[in-house]
Amino acid sequence: MADWEEVKRLAADFQKVQLSSTTQRLSERNCIEIITWLVDKKLLDLIFTSDGKEYLTPNKLVNEIRGELYDSGGRINLVELSKVIGVDLAHINSHIHEVLKGNKDIQLVLGQLIDTSYIMRIAGEINEKLAQQGQINVSDLTLQYDLPAEFLQQQVLEKNLGKLIFGQQDPNEPRIFFTESFIARSKAKIRGSLSGITKPTPVASILSQIDISDKLFFSLFDQTVMYGTLTSRMAGAQYIPNVYARSQNEWVNNFYKQNSYIEFDALTRLGISDYKSYIKKQLANDDILFLNSCVVSKNIPDRIEADIDECISSKSYVDLQSTLPSVFNTTDIQLILDKVLTSPKQQQTIIIDSFVVSKAFVEKLSSDCMELVKEKANATVESGKYQQYQIELQASHTRTHKSDDVEEKVDKREERRKKPQAVKVEEVLKSSKSGNKNVDNDDIDVPEKKTVLKIVTADDIRDIIGIPLEEEGIEDLIEPITDYLLPKLNEQGLELAANIYAATVADKTATRRQTHNELQNKLNALISDVRLFEKGIKLLSAELQLQLIKYLLKTLCTDIVTEILNYLSAEQNSTVITDNFTNDQRVKFVNDLPAEYKSSLLILVKSLSGQSIDDFMSAAEGGLTACSMIIKKIDKKKDRLIILNHKHQLLEQLNTCEDLTLVLHLATLVIFTTATQCMIHASGKHVSALLSFLKQYLTEEQYSELTSYHDFVTLMLSGGSEAESAKEKLKEKVSTVKNIANEFKKPGAEKL
Amino acid sequence: MVDEGTRKTLSNIQLLKTKAGPRDKELWVERLKEEYQSLIKYVQNNKEQDNDWFRLDSNKEGTRWFGKCWYIHDLLKYEFDVEFGIPVTYPSTAPEIALPELDGKTAKMYRGGKICLSDHFKPLWARNVPKFGIGHAMALGLGPWLAVEIPDLIAKGVITYKEKTG
Repeated sequence: MADWEEVKRLAADFQKVQLSSTTQRLSERNCIEIITWLVDKKLLDLIFTSDGKEYLTPNKLVNEIRGELYDSGGRINLVELSKVIGVDLAHINSHIHEVLKGNKDIQLVLGQLIDTSYIMRIAGEINEKLAQQGQINVSDLTLQYDLPAEFLQQQVLEKNLGKLIFGQQDPNEPRIFFTESFIARSKAKIRGSLSGITKPTPVASILSQIDISDKLFFSLFDQTVMYGTLTSRMAGAQYIPNVYARSQNEWVNNFYKQNSYIEFDALTRLGISDYKSYIKKQLANDDILFLNSCVVSKNIPDRIEADIDECISSKSYVDLQSTLPSVFNTTDIQLILDKVLTSPKQQQTIIIDSFVVSKAFVEKLSSDCMELVKEKANATVESGKYQQYQIELQASHTRTHKSDDVEEKVDKREERRKKPQAVKVEEVLKSSKSGNKNVDNDDIDVPEKKTVLKIVTADDIRDIIGIPLEEEGIEDLIEPITDYLLPKLNEQGLELAANIYAATVADKTATRRQTHNELQNKLNALISDVRLFEKGIKLLSAELQLQLIKYLLKTLCTDIVTEILNYLSAEQNSTVITDNFTNDQRVKFVNDLPAEYKSSLLILVKSLSGQSIDDFMSAAEGGLTACSMIIKKIDKKKDRLIILNHKHQLLEQLNTCEDLTLVLHLATLVIFTTATQCMIHASGKHVSALLSFLKQYLTEEQYSELTSYHDFVTLMLSGGSEAESAKEKLKEKVSTVKNIANEFKKPGAEKL
Repeated sequence: MVDEGTRKTLSNIQLLKTKAGPRDKELWVERLKEEYQSLIKYVQNNKEQDNDWFRLDSNKEGTRWFGKCWYIHDLLKYEFDVEFGIPVTYPSTAPEIALPELDGKTAKMYRGGKICLSDHFKPLWARNVPKFGIGHAMALGLGPWLAVEIPDLIAKGVITYKEKTG
């Protein structure tokens, strides 16, 4: 029956089940429809999941987000969030602010949600790390936590500094945090290293030794004990220990006190790069002078000044190179000299390289040279180099000054024309001299300077001054002093030369004047000779006259013309000597003469080839006037004197003559002169003709003697076989002929 | 064949093991226990799925069953009495479920209000003896019949909605 009981119980259970309420259930489709309807009517705000099968209310989403955030340990990426919740990222983004609004613990950083718990956690981590490492850099943390530096800085580090993170923020570099112990350790390291250093050391090498960043070093440097100084706060700075600086200063001071100078090189070697300001600071109390390579105290210039004074007073020289410390270079010496040499001293000294030479010393040397200069100057003038130089100078001068001086020149030339010849010479000289001065004064830059005549050469001077200088042991000065003296001596030489030249010119002018007078006299004499000879010729037969006139023109008259032409040539400063000119050459020469001489002289020259003495005489007169010479009036008394003189001359010649033929010639002339009281000018050719003319004045014996002598002479001159015997004969007869000539008396006179 | 919904329902109904009829005394008790357990489960499932559609009760021996069934159409609940007896040859023969109210109102009904089951029901039942029980008969027999006939009858105006009071 138990079974039936059980059946009953089951039946009861069945009834109970049937009576229990049914679950109200909507189908999926209905639900979707209802929800869409509700959403459409905006009665419901829902969020679809990304698979579209589920809906979320915003509140649910916010809760989900918070939950996920908590799950993931306080930090979650929004993208990840959207994946985990299964909601589109856009919904997350649009609802994120609701999450943030309700909760101040949560922050959105770079698309990530971060809550305080996370921040606390990483703060704890950071603190641990800081404790381990001693210092921590925000930029390192950004890498580690993949969070923006600013967030870490402000939200994590600074907020929790002192609470969770036990350390300090670097006041200079807010991104760096460190612990007290780290600072203390670093300080100790720095102090240790710095106190160990005794010489300037680059900070970089210190840092590499103690393994501390340069920023930390520079920030801690001031807090550590000061054992020295830093050159700068830059990475390339140098640490200079006080010990070193002190010893450096001591060294500098000692050196300076001992030597009165400090060279910059030495300072650079000591590691003082900015030596100028260093010296200014170090030697502020001293009166110092900055030079090119060193600094000197007032002592040195004073000493140099004294040296120079002494040098001036003792008329010697000073070698600054040897008196100054050897480190001084030439620029330094120059600077010191500029300082020391006042203008009065400058006038008394010459500076050659490092030598200060007193003027007196050089003067002495130069006076040694004067002898030579004089000699040379003389030589130059005598050799005519000086004149040539003057002419060149004048030429170049006129070339350059042509335009300026044209008028002046013309004036001068006109003046010159008016003035007598003798003055002209001087005038030329003067103008050339003044030209020279002009060149010197006005045209210093004109290349004419180069053509300055060298009176003395550098070698000459060197030879002279070399000896005394070598004795003094300053051969180095030979060259510069030579260079210094050369132009001066040359100038003096030129002056001397000019003086000498002027003197010689003055002499020459005097002689010129004399020669002019002499020439005038000579020409007058010649002309009167010609006149007298003509007179003698007129005594002869016409045929003989013609021959003799021709001869006369060819000889004496030609001489006269030549004299005149030579004179003119000299006047024109030409060196042409007309002595051996042919007639054509003479004509050509005359044609080249200035117009004032040309016409009258042309007539004169032409008259030479004519056949009349009278023509020549008048032409000669014209020529001489052109040459500003005067023909003297005919003086009968003087004529006689001249004839007498002529005769005496002839006789003298005859008596001393050894030439056999000339004896006859002279004898003939003497006899003629005595016989006719007229002079005759004839060549040997005319002797026989003259003898025949003289026959009337001679005795038979005399005549035969003379003719026979003449015959022998012709025989001898013909040079045949009898020449020798004829010569013998002539020798025998010479004395006879001479006697005849000497004893010959004008028949009329005897008669008288 | 039965529709998908029925098939699904069917799979949720516990199968029975004991092959015994009302005359088998001890075994019938066993069978009856299984029937109840199966029905409880079925009703629980229906309730859970918001698909409760009948009430059943039995006599003491479990040979006669009676109760109510209902069908919701156009948001109106049409309720009918239901009754059937366990045949002597049960479970080889399926019980004949009757809706006495509808006797004579439809062609798909035998005399006495017994519903005409589909052609498929009998072979299906025969194949599943003794596994099928009352629950299966309800789910495979009455359920589909109601779903087909009631809307048709309502449309014909044979059945009208009676406001249920109380």
